[in-house]
Amino acid sequence: MSRHSNGSEPVIEYLDVFKAFDTPVLSGVNLSVQKGEMFAIFGPSGTGKSVLLKTTMALIIPDRGDVRVAGDSVYFGGRRSLEKIRDNIGYVFQYAALFDSLTVFENVKMGISENILRDMSRIDVERQAWESLELVNLEPGQVLGKLPAELSGGMKKRVGIARAIAGRPEILLWDEPTTGLDPVNTAAIERLIRRLSHELDTTSLLVTHDVEGGLDMCDRVAMLEGGKIRFSGTPEAFNMSDDPVVRAFADRAAAIAALDVLEVR
Amino acid sequence: MAPRIYDALTRVVANLGNNSRVLAEHAGELGIMVWNIGVACVRLRVPSREIFRQIFVVGIQSVPIVVVAAGLIGVVTSQQGGYQMQSNLPLYVMGSVVVESVILEMGPVLTAIVIVGRVGARITAELGTMKVSEQIDALYSVGRDPIEILAAPRVLALMISMPVLVAVADVVGILTGMFSAQFTLGLGPETFFYGARLFWHSYDLFYSLLKAFVFGVAIPIIAIHMGLRTSGGAEGVGRTTTQSVVFMTLTILIIDAMFPPLFLQ
Ligand SMILES: Nc1ncnc2c1ncn2[C@@H]1O[C@H](COP(=O)(O)OP(=O)(O)OP(=O)(O)O)[C@@H](O)[C@H]1O
Ligand SMILES: [Mg+2]
Repeated sequence: MSRHSNGSEPVIEYLDVFKAFDTPVLSGVNLSVQKGEMFAIFGPSGTGKSVLLKTTMALIIPDRGDVRVAGDSVYFGGRRSLEKIRDNIGYVFQYAALFDSLTVFENVKMGISENILRDMSRIDVERQAWESLELVNLEPGQVLGKLPAELSGGMKKRVGIARAIAGRPEILLWDEPTTGLDPVNTAAIERLIRRLSHELDTTSLLVTHDVEGGLDMCDRVAMLEGGKIRFSGTPEAFNMSDDPVVRAFADRAAAIAALDVLEVR
Repeated sequence: MAPRIYDALTRVVANLGNNSRVLAEHAGELGIMVWNIGVACVRLRVPSREIFRQIFVVGIQSVPIVVVAAGLIGVVTSQQGGYQMQSNLPLYVMGSVVVESVILEMGPVLTAIVIVGRVGARITAELGTMKVSEQIDALYSVGRDPIEILAAPRVLALMISMPVLVAVADVVGILTGMFSAQFTLGLGPETFFYGARLFWHSYDLFYSLLKAFVFGVAIPIIAIHMGLRTSGGAEGVGRTTTQSVVFMTLTILIIDAMFPPLFLQ
């Protein structure tokens, strides 16, 4: 099934995660992602995909349940353990979330953890920032000195990705990495996700609305709906599922048919 | 009739309960934040460059407005004092009236109010914007602690700057008060300072600077606390900034009211 023969080692495990704001958002999410895997989560807008990603590094604290990263508990492991987990994960924010008072170079540099930064020479830091920007198909010479306000939406998004990969983390969480990008840049980012996974054995968990791309690229996919994982399995299984909600995401005709099932007015 | 009264009563009680819950929540969060800032300082995790930058922004750049405000306060105090004690008291008493009201009361309190508007509001708006644009989350995601790199430098900077600003305000207020007394009442500097010395305790200066220090701690702590709990986009930032200014102003006045019974016995 997977390229990874030793792929039975879970790196991210969501254990019965509950989160409510005014209304319940996540009500018992269980999911595990294997080492080196590319895993996509689909789901209707507003079901809590971003919330779920954020619980992975305690940006949002669940009401109940736990998340384990590489076997360590995010919520019961103490401060040190959480620091280590955060250093190990790169997070691509849905709306880039660049530090708007810092230049692109400083933003990307922030992606390298303090412990590593301390032992790096200035040249090395610059080289790493340069490479990260090249990987997301930006021209480093042109953008390094700019402030986020001087960039287009798609450029911000890619700087956000460059920041997330700058520290070469073992795990990457991508919140809609290709939304708002043109086809060429979408292809570039997809190729980047593949390359990171193949060459550096990076684990990628991505949330995306680009179902076709996700199915094409990922080893496994899941569907989050109604606060729970409604489907989880291989892309082939996804395509063959007869769950109407899953079908709605698999093809357009089914999406129209599903308007009733999902109670969309 | 009866049910309506009952309803109203329930609402009052519910409101009371709700308000005290909110108050307790604020107090708890504030306490935790202060503790964390303390821990960050003790662990020497606060970037010194940022402290100096903040001292420049909140301290040095506030000098002009503080000087103007203090200058006007001195003039007003001396004019008004002169008007009220026309021909009833020996004129040299004016020296004491101006010096004591500027040092004990007007200098620290009005400087604090100016700083609430100039610095406190700015801190809340700045951190609030970072919160709603997910920049605070982004900081956590790259393993940086906003308490260490945003909160602590601002608190330290104001803690150091406030006593200096108030000392400047005291001096400027006394000088303009003196000149103004000379022009309007014909009271010479020697007589002015003769009167001032008659009722002078060296403890008064310490009292003034102690007040300044306490204000310098209270203002940034409230401003940061409010900023970091902002939600709801641009409107939310506006709303919290207003609330924060009200909250800071009231706190200044309450602390000021508590000072005489605590320190002037
Ligand atoms: N900080 C928050 N405070 C209050 N409610 C929140 C917060 N974050 C998310 N929510 C709510 O949680 C629900 C899920 O939000 P989330 O951003 O995870 O959706 P999503 O699945 O990522 O949607 P999209 O595909 O549109 O990005 C929404 O109803 C949202 O209103
Ligand atoms: Mg989202």
